[in-house]
Amino acid sequence: MIDVQYETFDVGAEQRAMLAGRCDIGAVVSFTGLVRDINERPDVQGLILEHYSGMTEKALNNIVCEAKARWPLQAVRIIHRIGHLVPSDPIVLVMVASAHRRDAFLACDFLMDYLKTRAPFWKKEQTASGDYWVAERDSDQQDAKRWLGQPQAGPCQESTV
Amino acid sequence: MSLTHLDARGAAHMVDVADKPESRREASASGYIRMRPATLALLAEEGLPKGDVLATARIAGIQAAKRTHELIPLCHALALSKVSVDFELDSVTSCVRVTANCRLNGRTGVEMEALTAVSVACLTLYDMCKAVDKDMQIGDIHLDSKRGGVSGDYNRADTYTEQPTPIVAASAEAGRVPLALEGERTPSVRVKCLAELRERFGVSELSVPFHELASANVAGLKLALKNQYERFIDIDDQRLLCAVNQSMANDDTPLTHDDEVAFFPPVTGG
Repeated sequence: MIDVQYETFDVGAEQRAMLAGRCDIGAVVSFTGLVRDINERPDVQGLILEHYSGMTEKALNNIVCEAKARWPLQAVRIIHRIGHLVPSDPIVLVMVASAHRRDAFLACDFLMDYLKTRAPFWKKEQTASGDYWVAERDSDQQDAKRWLGQPQAGPCQESTV
Repeated sequence: MSLTHLDARGAAHMVDVADKPESRREASASGYIRMRPATLALLAEEGLPKGDVLATARIAGIQAAKRTHELIPLCHALALSKVSVDFELDSVTSCVRVTANCRLNGRTGVEMEALTAVSVACLTLYDMCKAVDKDMQIGDIHLDSKRGGVSGDYNRADTYTEQPTPIVAASAEAGRVPLALEGERTPSVRVKCLAELRERFGVSELSVPFHELASANVAGLKLALKNQYERFIDIDDQRLLCAVNQSMANDDTPLTHDDEVAFFPPVTGG
C-alpha cells in the first residue's frame, strides 16, 4: 500500500496493521526518514516537500513492482509525506515483510534507493539565511546503481499488498 | 456627476445621511490572491504552519467589514446585518478567489464594507501563507454588484467587459502573445515546470500549440520552447528530467496533442 500524504504517521501502528491476522510473515524491516536540522546549511528550520501528483503514485507503484520481482515479499508499505515539515518530523516510511530477514533487509534498502532517485519529490529547505532547493547527491545515484544488472521486474500492473 | 465626499470648495466632508430614507442595501465584491501551485495545495490540505488559513481569513474579512469606518476616513459606522466571505480555490490559475457580501437596512451603501472585507481577507491569506511563498500577488479587487439606494442598482457584468485571463501571467516578449488563453481550443501540448524549474523559468504551466512543435517529440517541444521564450534557454540541460503523461521520457519520446509534458530537476525525496 502506498500513500502520499500531508499527515504524519505512526510506525508502530503501520506495523501492527501490516501484521494483523498473519502468521506467515517471518521478518519485518522498516526504514523511517526524518528531517534533520543540518543539511546543506547548518540551520535548517523546516522544509517544503513538493511532488508531481499523479506521477508520484505511478512511480512508487513501479518501484514496488520491481522489488517484488526481485525478492519474495509478503507485504510492502510506503508512506511519503508532502507539505511543510520541521526538524525531527518523519518524512518517509518504507516497511517490508518477508518470510526471511535477508530478503526484507535487501528489499527495504532497494526500495529506498529507488525512491530517492526515481520518485518525483523535491525538497526546499528553509534556513535563517534563506530558502533553497536541495541538490541531488551523486551518492544516491551510486547507491541506486548497485542494483543494476540484477533481475528486472516482469509485468506488474498494480501493487496489491 | 460629482464626488459626494467633496463639498462646493473641494474640501473633504462626511455626507449627512440623516434625511435619506432607509432602504435595504446590499453589495458584493471580489478579488484574488495568486500563489504557487504548491502553496495552493498546502492551503487546500491545511498543511500550512499557521493552521486553518481559510477560517482565519474569513473571520478577518468579517471583522474588517465591521470596522471599515475606522479605516476609510469619510465612511459612516454601519450596523451591518450580514457579512459573508467566501473562498474558491482555482487550481488552473493557481489562485484563491475571495468574495464578500454585505447587507443592512440603512441610509448608506455597503460597497466599501464589501471591498474592505475582500482586501483584508486577501491580506490575511498572504500573512498566513508567506512563510512558504513570498511571491503571492493580490489583484483584481472590485465591486461586483450593489443594490438599493438612490443611485440605483449596479452590476459590473453589465458595464464591464472582462479581459480574458492568461492561464499563467508571464512577461510577453515583443510582438508575441506568449501563452494560450483560457477557452482557446487549439490542439496543444500541456507543459508543466516543477519545483526549482518553475522558479527558474518563472512559469508553472503553459500550453504550446501542437503545430508549433519542430517535430512531434520531446526534442521538438524543447526547440519550440527555446525559440519562443528566452527563459527556456536551459531546457537542454542534461541534468533536467522529463515525463510525458506522468511516465519518464527522453528527447525521442513521441508527442501527440493533449499530452502532458513535465520538466523537472533531479528528484530529492526520501
